Amino acid sequence: MKGFLGTPASFGADLNLIVQVVMGLALIAGALLARAKRYAAHGVCMTTVLFLNLVPIGVVMWPSFEQLVLPRLATHLQKRYYMVAAIHGVLGAAAELLGLLILLVAGTNILPETWRFSRWKLWMRVELALWMSALLSGIGIYVVWYTALWRQ
Amino acid sequence: MKSYIRNVFLCAGLLGAVASAAMIHGVSIARAAEEKTAPSIAIDNFSFTPKELTVAAGTTITWVNRDDVPHTVVSTDKKFKSKALDTDDQFSFTFTDTGTYNYFCSVHPIMVGKIIVK
Ligand code: HEM
Ligand SMILES: [Cu+2]
Repeated sequence: MKGFLGTPASFGADLNLIVQVVMGLALIAGALLARAKRYAAHGVCMTTVLFLNLVPIGVVMWPSFEQLVLPRLATHLQKRYYMVAAIHGVLGAAAELLGLLILLVAGTNILPETWRFSRWKLWMRVELALWMSALLSGIGIYVVWYTALWRQ
Repeated sequence: MKSYIRNVFLCAGLLGAVASAAMIHGVSIARAAEEKTAPSIAIDNFSFTPKELTVAAGTTITWVNRDDVPHTVVSTDKKFKSKALDTDDQFSFTFTDTGTYNYFCSVHPIMVGKIIVK
């Protein structure tokens, strides 16, 4: 299905771009909630985004990564097309996984004691920075893949 | 002496011209023969060229990606589907049944093409 942003991208890619930017803004709003000491609301906000993001990863980004990027990652890394996707894949996966780990540590007792950390604030800041760099590199993918702005 | 040299040059020039003409002609004949046996569609600059192609039943068509980004060739009716084709990768499909086959690139759905099999 054709996209709606006027680039050659598919509907899924265009929708993903919009959804990711909105979720990024939601995370910033969630961080401000923590600042305002509204911790319950903060938890709900962050957890929702973390789980919601599994949908675009499973439906758009992972299939795309597997089909377009993985088969040529080893041999074509010098091309900007693959380089930006590789960087994004690493940042995105790290952001999603660290997010899930923080959720398990901060919100549950599932993990064994040795796995837990107590400096929540620091880890959550690292996570937000990681997520934002995943978001920025994702926007970078969109620009390199679907616009003439930064093509090699 | 001067005119002798001039004549040699003229002769050489003529011979050269005839030889080049023959070569160009030969190449174009070879090209035409190639096109008849194996029609190919170039993928370049986010489009399929030619966009529409009519062939006889039983013809094998080859798509070649000349672009520097990956593309795919996917039939709208799921009759054929290539994997991602990077620069210079090819995909071929043999059209045994008559009919009209619309196809597109799944990465860039604005890229469309049509094969008519008669
Ligand atoms: C925090 C997590 C993530 C964020 C914020 C994020 C953000 C984005 C954004 C904004 C885009 C551009 C829209 C698009 O082209 O579809 C994108 C595309 C993409 N992402 Fe992610 N992403 C994340 C996780 C991942 C993961 C874990 C992978 C896979 C290993 C991944 C692989 C891709 C790929 C391959 C694309 C291009 C999709 C396409 O256009 O076909 N992303 N991402
Ligand atoms: Cu394409």
